[in-house]
Amino acid sequence: MPGHYVDIPVGREGAQVVADRLRQVYILRPGDTCPPLHIVAEKGSRTEVTLVVMPGVDVDIRVDVDLMGEGADLRMAGLYVCGGKERVSVHTRVCHRAPGCSSDQVFTGIAGGGARVAFHGTIVVAPDAQQTQAFQQSRNLLLSQDARVETEPQLEIYADDVKCSHGATVGSLNADEQFYMRSRGVPEAEAKVLQMLSFLSPVLAGLEEKDALAAELEQAIRSIV
Amino acid sequence: MDKTLQEFTSQEYKEGFVTEVEQEFVPKGLNEDIIRTISALKQEPQWLLDFRLDAFRRWQRMPMPQWGHLDMPEIDFQDIIYYAAPKKDADRPKEIDPELEATFEKLGIPLRERKALAGVVAVDAVFDSVSVATTFRQTLAEKGIIFCPFSEAVREHGDLVRKYLASVVPVGDNFYAALNSAVFSDGSFCYIPKGVKCPMELSSYFRINASGTGQFERTLIVADEGASVSYMEGCTAPMRDENQLHAAVVEIVVEKDADVRYSTVQNWYPGDKEGRGGILNLVTKRGLCRGAGAHLSWTQVETGSAITWKYPSTVLQGDHSSSEFYSVAVTNNHQQADTGTKMIHIGRGTRSRIVSKGISAGRSQNSYRGLVRMLPGAENARNFSQCDSLLIGSRCGAHTFPVIRSENPTATVEHEATTSKISEDQLFYCNQRGISPEDAVGLIVNGYAKEVLSRLPMEFAVEAQKLLQVSLEGSVG
Repeated sequence: MPGHYVDIPVGREGAQVVADRLRQVYILRPGDTCPPLHIVAEKGSRTEVTLVVMPGVDVDIRVDVDLMGEGADLRMAGLYVCGGKERVSVHTRVCHRAPGCSSDQVFTGIAGGGARVAFHGTIVVAPDAQQTQAFQQSRNLLLSQDARVETEPQLEIYADDVKCSHGATVGSLNADEQFYMRSRGVPEAEAKVLQMLSFLSPVLAGLEEKDALAAELEQAIRSIV
Repeated sequence: MDKTLQEFTSQEYKEGFVTEVEQEFVPKGLNEDIIRTISALKQEPQWLLDFRLDAFRRWQRMPMPQWGHLDMPEIDFQDIIYYAAPKKDADRPKEIDPELEATFEKLGIPLRERKALAGVVAVDAVFDSVSVATTFRQTLAEKGIIFCPFSEAVREHGDLVRKYLASVVPVGDNFYAALNSAVFSDGSFCYIPKGVKCPMELSSYFRINASGTGQFERTLIVADEGASVSYMEGCTAPMRDENQLHAAVVEIVVEKDADVRYSTVQNWYPGDKEGRGGILNLVTKRGLCRGAGAHLSWTQVETGSAITWKYPSTVLQGDHSSSEFYSVAVTNNHQQADTGTKMIHIGRGTRSRIVSKGISAGRSQNSYRGLVRMLPGAENARNFSQCDSLLIGSRCGAHTFPVIRSENPTATVEHEATTSKISEDQLFYCNQRGISPEDAVGLIVNGYAKEVLSRLPMEFAVEAQKLLQVSLEGSVG
């Protein structure tokens, strides 16, 4: 791995070129697959991508985004709920190649049963991409002894006038919250479902299909509690 | 302002002088005969020679690692002198060469026992491949503490060395650890017996002097049950146009309820402004919290070296053991650093905390790389990591590569990282109040690194603060 910036030319073939707006929601249910996504965002464009992985899906998701034009904006969100033997991996690579672009990524996931989930997210800010804002979050709940979570949030920054941050967490359901609900008569299993739903809600927020999805997710969560 | 800037930038690496002493060398190159020669020069027992040869054979089969975020120059391992020692005068075998004493005095390391700045520090001074002096050994021996050069420990405390050597960093751990195991020269050995609190700071100072050589020090620190010690390490080297290799191994064993603090101020020659020369600092440091309640704290200030490749790590094996890693890494001009830590949680209720502050300026590249791993037995283990990067100038890079793996549902891992630059507003605020741009940067950087600097022992904290300022000179404007 070289220590300096290597400019890999952007191939636009097969890429989705966003000139103005793009809004995509991928909902993966058992049997579905997800082709690798490559998005090239032009000047001033707005891109929103949401990925939802329901229980029972083995999938390897790859998303490459090149922010090529000044002021391009990307919102990417994803969630996964795994309670069995799923293998879910998410690779994202967001390259800020022009000044003044912004990107925000939120990935939340629940791993129970014997699931293996992995998140690898890279943000690259090219040498001249000043005034970049790039954020990324990877939050995970690990529910069982046999499940595994791996997360690798990465930042590669070659410009100085930037605001970039990432955060990653792996943990369990908060015991205080559970106690609060149970002391008010909410059964344990129900309390857990509520906690998990609220854990996933940042990804659903702002989606048009939010209500229908929330109902489906509630079903999914009940199936793994 | 330009004049001030020029004056500042023209200041040089002040430890870059060469000491003229007569030295003996082994021939250039690396093969089994060289290893036998080194072992013979140090009058080592057969088991250690076997250990070296085994390491060498493993090393020969290993490829040089390429995964670092580094432009690593080709290293010709046959073009290095693996052992260099100042000659001892026949007429005064007990005393230190005055030239050497003057060298260490110039570096601020007293080889005579006397009161230091704030209390007493025992020093082991290593010059190229040998230790030239260790102070306060008598005082320490009264408490049962062993603090001596590694080669002496092999002769006088062979059983202890044999028991702990390579117990934390196995011979074949990685390419440079294997190389070190084959050719290591001097370093410090330190053993704190059961229940003893070391009455003074222990310190090792490493100096590379001879040209064309590499330094391969080996340090082993063992804190037995309930013992505690604070250990500091410093290093410098002359200015040269070629790269010199420094591949050390540091192993720390922390038994039940023992407490070890390990602090480093790394100030190897960083190369010149064009990126010529400088030390390649390729180091393996690892501690093992073996017993319950053991505690190990790493604090490092990295300002020197052309390339730094170093991950002081802790294996938290004992239940409720804990570890911390506090780091400030500064890179300027063409320096490259790929540094961080690994926290491997094995035991129940283990805790770790990582605070890393990277500062890049000039055309340098500065990376944090880390691993936090929760194994299935790490019930209720906890980790918190914070990695911040500060960029000064538009031609440098700051990178963060953390890896988090959790295999226990009761464990909690949190990681956060931010990257930003010194804002115009902050600088303007200072300038407006009559603080010059250089001083303002120094002030802001010291404030940014304070959380780490405040963890250093007093003697080091002052030096480190100055060093930060010097390292960044000429980076604004």
